[in-house]
Parts: sequence; structure tokens; C-alpha cells
Amino acid sequence: MAAAGGKTYSFKVVLLGEGCVGKTSLVLRYCENKFNDKHITTLQASFLTKKLNITGKRVNLAIWDTAGQERFHALGPIYYRDSNGAILVYDVTDEDSFQKVKNWVKELRKMLGNEICLCIVGNKIDLEKERHVSVEEAEGYAESVGAKHYHTSAKLNKGIEELFLDLCKRMMETAQLEERSRGNGASNSSTGRRGVQIVDDEPQAAVPAGGCCTSG
Amino acid sequence: MSQRSERRGIHVDQSELLCKKGCGYYGNAAWQGLCSKCWRDEYQKARQRQIQDDWALAEKLQREEEAAYVSSHSSSQTQPPQSHSQHSLATFSKFEEKKTNEKTRKVTTVKKFFSPSSRTAPKKESHEAKTPSPSITRQSSIETDRVSRDFVEFLKTLHKPGREIHKHSRAFIDSMGNKKQDLSAEELSECVQDFYQGMSDRLLNHFKGSSEKVDRVMDQVEKYIMTRLYKSVFCPETSDDEKKDLATQHRIRALHWVTIQMLCVPVEEEIPEVSDSVVKAITDIIEMDSKRVPRDKLACITSCSKHIFNAIRVTKNEPASADDFLPTLIYIVLKANPPRLQSNIQYITRFCNPSRLMTGEDGYYFTNLCCAVAFIEKLDAQSLNLSPEDFERYMSGQASPRRQDDPAGWPQSGSRVNPVLTQIQHNLSVLSSLEKRQQQVIEGAQSLEAELTEWQESVAREVQEILERYPLDIKPRASAIDAENVENDRLPPPLQPQVFAG
Repeated sequence: MAAAGGKTYSFKVVLLGEGCVGKTSLVLRYCENKFNDKHITTLQASFLTKKLNITGKRVNLAIWDTAGQERFHALGPIYYRDSNGAILVYDVTDEDSFQKVKNWVKELRKMLGNEICLCIVGNKIDLEKERHVSVEEAEGYAESVGAKHYHTSAKLNKGIEELFLDLCKRMMETAQLEERSRGNGASNSSTGRRGVQIVDDEPQAAVPAGGCCTSG
Repeated sequence: MSQRSERRGIHVDQSELLCKKGCGYYGNAAWQGLCSKCWRDEYQKARQRQIQDDWALAEKLQREEEAAYVSSHSSSQTQPPQSHSQHSLATFSKFEEKKTNEKTRKVTTVKKFFSPSSRTAPKKESHEAKTPSPSITRQSSIETDRVSRDFVEFLKTLHKPGREIHKHSRAFIDSMGNKKQDLSAEELSECVQDFYQGMSDRLLNHFKGSSEKVDRVMDQVEKYIMTRLYKSVFCPETSDDEKKDLATQHRIRALHWVTIQMLCVPVEEEIPEVSDSVVKAITDIIEMDSKRVPRDKLACITSCSKHIFNAIRVTKNEPASADDFLPTLIYIVLKANPPRLQSNIQYITRFCNPSRLMTGEDGYYFTNLCCAVAFIEKLDAQSLNLSPEDFERYMSGQASPRRQDDPAGWPQSGSRVNPVLTQIQHNLSVLSSLEKRQQQVIEGAQSLEAELTEWQESVAREVQEILERYPLDIKPRASAIDAENVENDRLPPPLQPQVFAG
């Protein structure tokens, strides 16, 4: 939910993708600049925050990791409700993980429409020799669904800064567009309320997801 | 003149001044014409008689009262008064010649006897009836009063905005008091959320507060409002929260057989620090129900989550990801079976300050708890990598996962599955080591005893050898003690004592 308090933005970003594609390593590298380091003092890497300063405006970024196992797929809506952005991670050496990302994209577009900023990330580019997902295919798919594609390696610390910086800029643009369409601060609160209403309305269309949201 | 003549008459006639008993001594009008000795004897007799009569009366009254207690019939109730009145009449006839003081004393005795019994029973009854409710009411009101005082103290630091906040908060609570009977749970939630939104907007825009300061104020507002409204809005009668609570509790109880392996939980409970974190996580999630402020309930969830992360980190030696966290949280919820789980989740969702719930770390952990509960509700064979047949057998209780583990090795799997078995095995090993130490102590004692015996014998042998080696001969003296004193002649003659007369 974008909260424009003066010049500070707060964004919620969800990390989606199969287990073992490197979601956790990616976000740890970005927030803690660590990779598989036995001396990491961080207790957990499920919820991490980062403060940025972009063109004079402060951004508070909250990154929500999600359980990627297949058995937990139905719980996705509970996680990505009220999200401003989503990072969908796949392993370039694993074709199945890319298919999983495609499923997530369809669900997110269906449930949240075009308000959410999507980033499709091909991780583990350090294993280029074992690549099974071609660059052309991935970038073509991202363009077709209104998302943007990135190539990263948590191991080599490549492409991660660009990914998050670009995502924040896009979320800021979306938030500013919403601000202009609302007019003033008073409308901003109504924006939040309408967002909640939209989320509440859509799950009813899908019975399983509705069940999940109802219990939540 | 007539009075004077009467006095002379009394004074002159001595026979009338004597004691009525005829003992020969003079009597006194104060003692009813008796002398002091005769009066004392008479008084003591009367007193003893009265004491005995009082005692008999008391015993009779007590028996009648007990009979009345035993039988609750109205006829038995009428009997005591009759007996009482008859006995009173008899008593009065005996003492009719006594003074008013004596009569008053008897009446007082009867009253004193009645007073304790009549007062004791009602006190006990009222005490028993009132015991539970005062403590509960007092505890609740104490907490409410403390929160109210803390709220007022906090607002004093804000000056003008504080006064306005206090006014609006009290007005809101009063209006909610009037509405709560008619509104549904969702409508109550809407009212509270509208109040939060309005208050937050006013603080941000009108009073130009910083976002951090506004957050702190809103935390205090939430605490004050929800403590006052808790009783009426938690698990309200207009909602079906209670049914859901019971359904969830039964569901979790039915899933008692789910193991760490089935959920792929990356937690090694054999490690003491890990099992300690698991126990603390379970305690925290159960404690959530005892809090009243939504933020305090969230704090319990956050504390539970941090203990889970610690358990995972110790097991894997790396930071925990969501792939690890969610299955472990599910396992903790299944082990804890927290009371009123659905009601607490609904309460937090409806009445928590949205800024914390939507974006903060607490909100993340709360969302995972919602996911865990949703997963538990929809859990099936595929979720646990089981065949449908096995799942049904486990759910119905026909089979247990532990029995399947028998071929693999019961002790090992048993210790993992059941903490009680782990404790028993630990106790057995402790007892075994204790037995070994006990055996060592006994052996030490026996060897010490043998050494002592041997030492005693060696000392005796040594003494005997010395005696045999160096025999001791004592030569007797043949002469007298003074025989060899050859210089006896040179001594002066012994002094003769001088006797002085006197």
C-alpha cells in the first residue's frame, strides 16, 4: 500500500517463486550484502526492509518472502494482498521454475490487475552453461504481460541493485499517478480504502482463494 | 412529728432489727432483713440455681434450632416457638420474685445466644456467593484503570492535541457503548477503523505531526479504546467466531499425528537449544489469547516467530527463509492448539491499527499465521506427501505413523516424535549413571573397611614384636626406704611444739 506521507513512500514487495531458485539469497545479497556466509548475523531472511533515497524522495521498502513449495501455492493471495510490487524468481537452469513463474503472473494479473508492478527475475546466471531458459523467450514473455525482465546472480552480486532500484522507481510512478488522479491528501485515505475494497471483491470470484482470504 | 415518732419506734424495738433467719445477729434492710453471712449464703444458692437453669435453657434451644434446620417443614418451624414460650413461662414462674436486674440478665443471655447463630449463617452464605465475582471484576477494572491512567499521562505530554484526542476517544467509546448491541462484527470493525483513520488524518494534517510520532500516539489510542471495548467486541454474539474456534480446535486435535518429516520442518528437536525455542514458541502462541490490546496479541505472534527463526537458524546454521518458516509455524500451531485461534485472528484483523498490520514486520508474521491456519483447514493427503488411504487411517485413528516407523527403529523415531519418551529415556540414562556411581561408592567403602582392619592387625603385630625383642624386667627393692640414709645422726633434733595457754 503506498503511503505518501510528505516525501516518504512505503512499499510492500512480495517475493514469489519455487523453492531453491534462490529467492532468499537474492534478497540477502541486496539487504545485507551477504551470500552463503556462515558468519551472517541475521536471524531470519523472510522479512527484510531497506531504506532508499531516489531523486530526493525517501522510500521504505518491505520485502516479504513467501513459501515457494507447491503445497503452499493456494496461500499466495494471503501474502500478496495489498502489495505494490512482486518479484517473481526462477532458476535459469530449471525450466519448471519458469513455468511456475508464468502461473504466478497469470494469477497476479487476474487478482490485482495492472496496479501491481511485476519483475521477472532469472537468477543463477553464473551457471550460464547449464541454462535451459533462453533469454529471448524470457524477455519476450515479460514484455507480453507488461512486466520487466532482469538477469541476476546472487552469488556474483550481479543485476540485483538494478532490479530493486528500477522496481522502486516504477512503484513511485504508480503512486504518483494515483496521487494526481485523487487530487489531495484527503482523497489519499479513500484511495487506501478503495484498494482494500478491490482486494475484498476479487477473491469472491475464485472460490478457493476466497476461502483463504475469508479465513485470513 | 409523726415521722419522728416512727423512727423512735424502729429504734426502740430491738427484736425487729435481728436477722430473719434467727441466727442471733442484726440484719440489714439492704439485705432484705438478713445479716451479711446469711445473705451471702442465700445469694450464692440463688445464683447457682439460675446458672443451671440458663444452661438447660440454652441446650434446649439449640436442640430445637438444630431440629428446625434438619427438617424444613413449616410444622417443625412452628413447634420451636411453642416449646420456647412454654419453657419461658416455666422459667418466669421460678424467678417471679426476683428483681428486674435478674430478669434483664436472663433476657440478655437469650439474645446473646441467638445473635451469633443468626448472624453467622447469613455471613457465610453471602461470602460464598460473592467470592468469585469480586475478584474477576476487580482484576478487570484494575487493568482498565491502569490503562486509562497511562493514557491520560501520555496525553499530558502532548498539550493541546492531547486534550482533543482524549475528548474524541471518550466520545467514541461512549457512542460505541450505545451501538454495540445492534451492530454486527463487521460494522463494529468499520466504526473503529474509521475512528483510527480520522484521528490519524487529523494528527498528520491539522497538527502537522511526524509519522513516527503519530504512530506512537495511535498505539496509545488503540490500547485505550480496545481495552475499554474488549469485552463487547471480542468474539461478539453477532458473529460465528465461537463455532469456528471449536471447529479449528477439533481439526488441530485430529491432526495430532502429523510429524516434522511430513511437513518437511527443518528443526532438529534433539538439540537442547532448539527444543527450548520450540517450547517458547508454543508458549507465546498460546499466550496470545490472554492479551486484550490487538498490538499486544501481535507482539505474542512476533515473539513466537522469532523463537521459530532461532530454532531454524540453530538447526541449519543459516538465516531462515520463508520456505523454512511457514512449515515450522504450521508445526508449532499443531502442537500448541491455541485457544480461540479464529477469534483472535478476527479480532486482530478487525480492530488493529492498519498501519502495523499492512506493512510492518508484525503484519508479516500475522499474515503467515493466517496462512498456517488456512493450510491446516485445507490440509489433505497430498499436502503431507501421503497416500489417501494412509491419510484416512491416520485421521480416523485406526493407524499411527509411529507404528510404521517400527521397522526403521522405534527408539530413535519415538524420541523424535514424542518429547515424553525423550524425557523418559533421559531419566533412564541418568538413573543408570547414578547406579554406576552408587556401585563405585560401595566398592570404595568396602575397600576402606578392609584397609582399616588390616591396619589394626599390623599395628598389633608390630607391638607384639617389640615386646618380644625388648623384655622389661623390674627388680624389686629388698631394703627399706630410709635404710641407706647414713647422715641421719647429723640432723638437728626435731622441733617441739610450744603450747600457749589462752
